[in-house]
Amino acid sequence: MKGIYRLATASTIVLMILPAMTEPATAQQLTAKEIITKADEKFNGEMSGYSVMSMTIVRPTWQRTVEFKSWSLEDDYALTLITAPAREKGQTFLKRGNEMWSWNPAINRLIKLPPSMMSQGWMGSDYTNDDILRESSVINDYTHSLVGEEETDGRLCHKIKLLAKEDAGVLWGHQLWWVDKEEFIVLKAELYDEDGYLVRTERGTDLKTMDGRFIPSTIELVPAEEPGHKTVLKILEIKFNVKLAEGFFSQQNMKTIR
Amino acid sequence: MKDYQLAWKNLWRNRKRTLITAASVFFAVFLALIMRSFQLGTYQKLYRDVIESYSGYLQLQNSEYLDEPGLDNGFTVDDSLIVRLEADPEVTAVIPRLESFALAASGSRTQGVMVIGMDPGKEHDGLNLRNRMVRYKLTPGAVASIKSEVLPARSIKLLDLLMNESYTNEEKLLLDLGLSPGDSARYLPMLREHTSFSNGYLNPSDTASAIIGSGLSEYLQAGVGDTLVLMGQGYHGTSAAGLFVIKGIVSLPTPDIDNVFVYLPIEAARWLYAAPGMATSAIINIRNSEDRELFRTQGRLNAVAGGELKVRNWKELNALLLNQMEADNKSGAIMLGILYLVIAFGVFGTVLMMLAERRREFGMLVSIGMQKHRLAKVVSLEMLMIGLLGVLAGVAASLPFVFYGNARPLRFRGEMAKMYEDYGFEAVMPMLQPDSYYLWQVAIVLLIIAVAVAFSVRKIFKLNVINALRA
Amino acid sequence: MITSIAWKNVWRNKTRSLTVIAAVTVGVFAGVFSMAAINSSIVQRIDAAVNEELSHIQVNNKEFRSSGDLRDYIGDPGAVISRLEQTEGVTDVTGRIIVRGMASTSAGSSAVEITGINIEKELEMFSISGRLIPGTGSYFGSDTRLNSVFIGEKLARELNIIRYIITPGSLEQLSGEGVPASVTEKLREIEGERFSTEKALTKALAGLLAMKEMKQYGLMIRESAWSYREGSKIILSFLDTDNHQTGAAFRISGIYRTNNDLFEALSVFVPEAELRELTGLNEGQYHRIIARLSDNDLTGSVTPIIKEALPELEVLSWKEIQTDLAMITDYINQIYGMFMVIILAALAFGIVNTMLMSVLERTRELGMLSAIGMNRRRIFVMIMLESIFLSIVGGFAGMGISAAVIGITGKTGINLVKYAEGMEAFGYSANLYPTIGADFFIMLTVMIVITGILSAIYPARKALQLNPVEALRGE
Repeated sequence: MKGIYRLATASTIVLMILPAMTEPATAQQLTAKEIITKADEKFNGEMSGYSVMSMTIVRPTWQRTVEFKSWSLEDDYALTLITAPAREKGQTFLKRGNEMWSWNPAINRLIKLPPSMMSQGWMGSDYTNDDILRESSVINDYTHSLVGEEETDGRLCHKIKLLAKEDAGVLWGHQLWWVDKEEFIVLKAELYDEDGYLVRTERGTDLKTMDGRFIPSTIELVPAEEPGHKTVLKILEIKFNVKLAEGFFSQQNMKTIR
Repeated sequence: MKDYQLAWKNLWRNRKRTLITAASVFFAVFLALIMRSFQLGTYQKLYRDVIESYSGYLQLQNSEYLDEPGLDNGFTVDDSLIVRLEADPEVTAVIPRLESFALAASGSRTQGVMVIGMDPGKEHDGLNLRNRMVRYKLTPGAVASIKSEVLPARSIKLLDLLMNESYTNEEKLLLDLGLSPGDSARYLPMLREHTSFSNGYLNPSDTASAIIGSGLSEYLQAGVGDTLVLMGQGYHGTSAAGLFVIKGIVSLPTPDIDNVFVYLPIEAARWLYAAPGMATSAIINIRNSEDRELFRTQGRLNAVAGGELKVRNWKELNALLLNQMEADNKSGAIMLGILYLVIAFGVFGTVLMMLAERRREFGMLVSIGMQKHRLAKVVSLEMLMIGLLGVLAGVAASLPFVFYGNARPLRFRGEMAKMYEDYGFEAVMPMLQPDSYYLWQVAIVLLIIAVAVAFSVRKIFKLNVINALRA
Repeated sequence: MITSIAWKNVWRNKTRSLTVIAAVTVGVFAGVFSMAAINSSIVQRIDAAVNEELSHIQVNNKEFRSSGDLRDYIGDPGAVISRLEQTEGVTDVTGRIIVRGMASTSAGSSAVEITGINIEKELEMFSISGRLIPGTGSYFGSDTRLNSVFIGEKLARELNIIRYIITPGSLEQLSGEGVPASVTEKLREIEGERFSTEKALTKALAGLLAMKEMKQYGLMIRESAWSYREGSKIILSFLDTDNHQTGAAFRISGIYRTNNDLFEALSVFVPEAELRELTGLNEGQYHRIIARLSDNDLTGSVTPIIKEALPELEVLSWKEIQTDLAMITDYINQIYGMFMVIILAALAFGIVNTMLMSVLERTRELGMLSAIGMNRRRIFVMIMLESIFLSIVGGFAGMGISAAVIGITGKTGINLVKYAEGMEAFGYSANLYPTIGADFFIMLTVMIVITGILSAIYPARKALQLNPVEALRGE
């Protein structure tokens, strides 16, 4: 499932998929790094799954919605099948590591996507090649510090600052995360460039329980320097812990998956 | 008698002197006109070539498109608007186009390309495709068979260098092979036989056919009949993907475009990019392309188009080219200035000598009672008359050259020609027909004469009669 | 004897002499200066191409330029390098690793060609280090443990690494440059606001300032708002030798500015060792080996020698890589030739006329000479000698003035910045520094002096036709 969320949440938002028990009693004494680590570890550990999502691209003069099904294994493999709109139905994308292939039945061609193709955003959205394919670690590439507590959307959150390490291969200068104290869900994240200017805001809303987990079912990505632009991801269906083998994520499967 | 009559008589009293002085003015005017005519003619041709092979004189676009080209800044074609635009007396046709980028693939190779959705049925759409269809190609097979035929040794050697070259016309084929037009009768039939290239043009109803540049065809190893995959992002980010059969190959002037252009019928492009009924620009063909009229037409059409759509002229569309040409023009003007410097000295020299030669005469006139100011007036009139004579002669002499050079421009041969052609320009140096620049050059020469006159007047007033008589 | 008479005649009639001398001087100046101006533009472009971008000779793996594949490196670079070093005319040799990839910042990404270089060696061979924009860092000067990269201004602008901010400092700078307070006050409204592109800044300025103010101060304001944070981060990503996507963060060591937009947008330089580590290329594997010659003019003779010595590799000279440069030189020479023909024609006509008039003026004098027994041939020679003297004096004067003007403008430059945009898109500098080769200089002067002399023949012959009796009688 992590693959889907990679798609959905950029390299930054980490959805905390915790089993019912957490460590509420000791939450207040957790360090910033530990909080982030928990979220990330849980995420990594539980990430095999299946989901159905809809992505709405919003622009000042128009908007467009794409629906797709997604399968993923850990952080490394993901297979996505576009189900709507009709014109794009049947296209599949395969991610293996930091490479991406695309299959389009209309032209009957399997193409390895060069990075230049992706620089405009996947399917026209605000998700870039960097969000989807870059392998950066929220734990190792940043130093973390707890800067306070704030209420966001009616829930009390840890406010954590993630400062990118000097030689880390991440585009951002620093990030601010609002992590829900109870459920360790990242409700809001602000991404800043090295000069300290806000470039992007991400929010997780519509919290609900799906397949036994309490997660945000809507994720919004808002670029800061482009008024009227945003991308909204809605999780329609999700199944965790689906057993998938690496062999599932093959070029052959790209053509036959339904 | 009147001053001017006296002046006129004086002119013909000493014919030699008059003719010599007039001649210097004549040469000045003549040379200046010829040089400027070449310069301006060349610039105009360059502009024309670019305008007529791509941008057109006027284009209708979404107002944002010029700054941010892209499908999302295209516009929906409103037929009633087209009708209203075409109703303008200056407009002959309005032809929409849809352009965008895509990734082209054939076999294992991919290449970024520029896709142009155009109307194959309309001539004069600015693209001139029909004349660019490849007619002859020096394929390895063709080269091998030609080598067994009779050809000058030099041409045989050139064949190897020209392997895989495509040609749209016979003249260039002959030129590249180092054959003169006189040889054409001998060699052309044989060349035609071996190198003829079967090609096809597009129909508006072709939904899945494309014409591509010869360089692109080479790179992708795809020719007529092969399938071309085009993919990219369409309108509003929709996926764009389609299969097209290559129906024809064109040879475009410069490698920059020959390697990356793909032409589709506009309906096919609209389908590919999910942009039904849309265009990124519409070429507006007009009758009078002369600047002043053009801007007036542009103004009128803008009023009709109104709101979100704007009519752009070729200067706005080719801003970079314009910048370069202006730089070139400035250096051309400097060259002209230098010419004038040399000319001015020629005229002055002649005038000075004339004054020197007539010192005694002047001294005589003043001593017998002619007032200096009258003498000055008469001499000035003389010089003006000579000046006018020289100017008229110069203008008259230049006209036949200029008209001829305009109608049948100077053609380059050999290396120079090849260089021009390689850049996609016709190897000619045309002259510009008489225009406002004529008035300018004449004005400048008259200015030079005026200065000479002023100088003469001064000399006369400073004349020391005794010394003059002794001369 | 005739010689001394001729010489004295020259100085007897100052006006006449000075006129002819002036005409020849102007002719020489015209020819030489225009040649220098045209010449310099091209020479600059060629020098830039050779010293900053290409050097003289490139040796590549035969497949490399079309495939761009990392694995198409040169088989035995050691042998190639030593072969090149042994070739006469070659002064320096270096190897480069070339990788095509993407450069990204939080604002976007752009395709680039990443060149791994031997920093010390390249300092000797290329002058790109000298094109560093002051204040943006150094050419790999700082000692960091991070990967460093040297990028072009165009790329920096595209990736929004260069921003535009009106700071208190820039307002001060503008006041110091003479911008009136009325304008700087208006600018306070956008103080501190960051604009990613020049266009965005211009748009904002258009909203604040009047047209006239924009025209007058627009450029200055834009320059003062130019801002760059030293050591900004940029991510370079590319394929490694196992065909996997890889990449790393790089710190910008410095930004360079050339006159070639295309080059600036595509070419980024990193130390060889860093690139090897990331791509997995081994020590000694190079994609390109470059040789520098002691003189541009040796290119034609040395290139074939190297081609023959290295048949299994692709050997190209800068002329073959930038064919348009070679062509333009030829083209310009032709145009210049035509121009000179016209100038010489104008000069000839001018001198003929002046001399003819002068002969007319001297009818009496010449008639006198003829009457006292000077034969025709001698008169002819006398007039010709006068012309020769005048032309030579004019020639020297012309050479002197041209040399002076070229010397001055060669240093200060002729400013065509108004047309910079068009010229720089093609790699031409908007500042002309007229220069001319000594051989051209002399050749042109000689040509013009000869023209002067030849122009005098017709008038001199005319002088011979004078009837001494009529001449003596005067007008």
